[in-house]
Amino acid sequence: MKNKAIFNICPDGEFFGRSMEIDYVFARGTEVQKHTPNIYLSGNRWMGKTEVLRRVHRKLFWGQASVVPVYYQFRGGQSVSAFAEDFIKETAKQYMAFMLRNPELARVEVSLDKLERLVEENAEETELPGIVRRHREAREARDLTAELRNAVGAPALLSLNSSAPVFLMLDDLDAADRITSPSDGPEAGGELAGALVSGNFSFIAASLTASSLTTGLVKGHIETLELTGLKEEEAVSMLLELSRQYHLETSSEVLVQAARKLGGNPMYLKNLIWAAHRAGRDIMDIRDLADLYSGELVAGNTGFALGGAIRLNGLNDLRVLHAACTAYGSTSEEELKDRFRYGHEELKDMLSSFATMALVTNTLGSIKWAGDGVMRDYIIYMYETRLKGKSPEEVKTRLVRDMLKESFSSRGEEVRGRFKEEVSQLVSTFDGNMAQKVFFDHPSFASKYKDGLLRAVEGGEAGDIRLPHVVGCFDARRLEVGEAGQPVFIAHGFQNDRYDAGNEVAWLICVKEAITPVNIGDVENFLRRAAFLRENFRSIRVIRWMVGMEGFTEEAARRLSKEGVYSTDTVQLGMLRGALNAAPGTKRKGGGAVLGQAKEFEIVLPGSSKSELVAARAAEEIGTEMGFDDNAIGQIRAALVEACINAFEHSRTKSSKVHLKFIADNDRLTINVQNGGSGPGARGLKRAIARAGRMPQKRGWGVELMKGLMDEVRFEELVEGTRIVLVKYLAGKRSGEV
Amino acid sequence: MTTGQRNYRELDDKVVLYPHNYINDIEGEKLEDMCEVFLGKGLKKFVIDFSDTEIINSIGISILIGIIERIRCAGGTILFSGLKKVNLDIFRIVGLTNVIQVHPTEVEAVDEMKRAGGGLLGK
Repeated sequence: MKNKAIFNICPDGEFFGRSMEIDYVFARGTEVQKHTPNIYLSGNRWMGKTEVLRRVHRKLFWGQASVVPVYYQFRGGQSVSAFAEDFIKETAKQYMAFMLRNPELARVEVSLDKLERLVEENAEETELPGIVRRHREAREARDLTAELRNAVGAPALLSLNSSAPVFLMLDDLDAADRITSPSDGPEAGGELAGALVSGNFSFIAASLTASSLTTGLVKGHIETLELTGLKEEEAVSMLLELSRQYHLETSSEVLVQAARKLGGNPMYLKNLIWAAHRAGRDIMDIRDLADLYSGELVAGNTGFALGGAIRLNGLNDLRVLHAACTAYGSTSEEELKDRFRYGHEELKDMLSSFATMALVTNTLGSIKWAGDGVMRDYIIYMYETRLKGKSPEEVKTRLVRDMLKESFSSRGEEVRGRFKEEVSQLVSTFDGNMAQKVFFDHPSFASKYKDGLLRAVEGGEAGDIRLPHVVGCFDARRLEVGEAGQPVFIAHGFQNDRYDAGNEVAWLICVKEAITPVNIGDVENFLRRAAFLRENFRSIRVIRWMVGMEGFTEEAARRLSKEGVYSTDTVQLGMLRGALNAAPGTKRKGGGAVLGQAKEFEIVLPGSSKSELVAARAAEEIGTEMGFDDNAIGQIRAALVEACINAFEHSRTKSSKVHLKFIADNDRLTINVQNGGSGPGARGLKRAIARAGRMPQKRGWGVELMKGLMDEVRFEELVEGTRIVLVKYLAGKRSGEV
Repeated sequence: MTTGQRNYRELDDKVVLYPHNYINDIEGEKLEDMCEVFLGKGLKKFVIDFSDTEIINSIGISILIGIIERIRCAGGTILFSGLKKVNLDIFRIVGLTNVIQVHPTEVEAVDEMKRAGGGLLGK
């Protein structure tokens, strides 16, 4: 029985993500002595606010003794008197249940008479008997204000006179605004807000919208915690796990599309899998997804839930809502009035009702859609069938068609973005290395490359070029407003291992990501733009480089060669990457001596406690073998532990693994630490600074330690994660001394 | 009188703590808890001897800083001893060596504490 939830929650096997939020709220709930701000938990419909609150309640009920958790879910349409009695009953039952460690007390339905007996029997020493008695007296005297104040004041009174204060958890707080009261009666929202900001107890309040009550609270000392959709990885994990439970075959690529389409909303995600299960249909391609999605929207659980949540008072509502959700950006009250010929008050009421349902926001007359994409599709479906007379099948077909087009376009975007990013990442690893010139000269490469092999370049070092140390890459758009053509980015750095004005260099890099090769038009466009762009770099050397995903036409390649512009296609790029990354032992630095073959070791660390010590142990073995002294090995181990902790901390999911690659070269040990997340790397990390004579800052030392212990530390943002590169040189072998 | 177990040693009004070979969040918190226990018992002179400690990570560092602050806040004194070279480097990087005395051995740290009495509030 221990650990059982007091309030209904979904089965653990169907609950995903949110562990960080639950842990955070739990920790904050128990920090009663620290006077931390209260929490306002906001989030769109079905994001899991209730589930989070109830799971935190369960954890607080069974896992600590410093606060008494009291959970209360508001119901709209109650009278003040009914709310007051309900609130007192819930508070009293849950207080006794916690104190007596008896969850059944919280679940039992009680009349006021029975509650009086219960508190007398079980909580005689507390304030509860007095609270319940005062409620009866106020009710008998028909004093609504006294009833309400006694009820909302109960948590404070219980907290002031107990060593364990109440931690109040209010769910659906926006419904508090819909507690009805006689025109001359007390206003429940105002009284509740007054009790909450009194500061005598801590609370968390969840609601769909920032209603007048929550707005009033937010102005006080309160922290807002927004519950958005599950992260893509979490949503895909959830879909995968549910598919496994229901024995469905799925394609992970399609599940990624599903996670995006459904905005990570847990309810939509569950409904999709249930729909697939009901239909006996696997989710293997985008057509499966589109069919299931449209079916869910038109006649499934999702459509049913949306129908209940989006309360429309007639077709006029539907017209305005459709206009709002299909408007580009936002629309305005004036525009809607002109378009639909509605009166000011009528429109105002409609918009207010939509805002309460979190479907639109109205900021000074600017109306913006606030619902999600699924809600938008639902409104469009309703509009097309009810107002335009289309059949459900017709609209469903349109939804499927749009989804297929959207998915195709989204995949195309990814491919396009990926290639440019690859080039940009490669440039950041140039690092002053030498590279064969043939990788930058497409005509020459084409003559030497055959059947996957590159014939030996004769002429030794004459066939090499020195790449710069790149200090930053940026898009050229800011410097060439209004220009059309392939994107150009600029890599700024230094050459010849010297960081002075004479060795400053800018590479203007044009990348063509298309299914056609670079043609003469592309080349002329780049040459013209490069001529303008180089005006920004008058005093420094400028290198022009064109990269074509599908290569170059003969004419384009000739022209580039004649102009002295570097030209590289995908094959050259791959070989260049291989030379720079995969085998640093073949890199030639300072003088260009060819070093011996590097040894590489790879380790994958699971996301478990102390797994970084496995990495440290490996570093010790490899470092010893390479001839590092004990102190250097200690430094490598400590830096590597930091890098691993950083990688785990910034992984997208808790279960993420960290991939390590040790590259043991003649003169250095390079360790790549890569996660599958969107870690902030060096930029996003809080960095601490040692201040002479003062106590150091407590947190944020990871990056400083790595930098202080290693010879080089780099942070590289990758498409699928972040890589930290740690380099330690063997003593006396730095800068290419062999 | 000397009493003790394997992870601490009481020497009259002083206590020497011997942390784990890897100080991370968990081990750091254990150390923090031990300090709290001894402060609760009225002991205010602490030596942390790191002779067995191979690695201290940044979270461990943050906890050690908290421990120093906590002990000083309670009017106590604290010294470090037995640091391996790499851990001394780490303490230098974060600036801890500017605010706390570090002695080569536990014996030297304890002697220094005896010699200075209550006058060891900083370096």
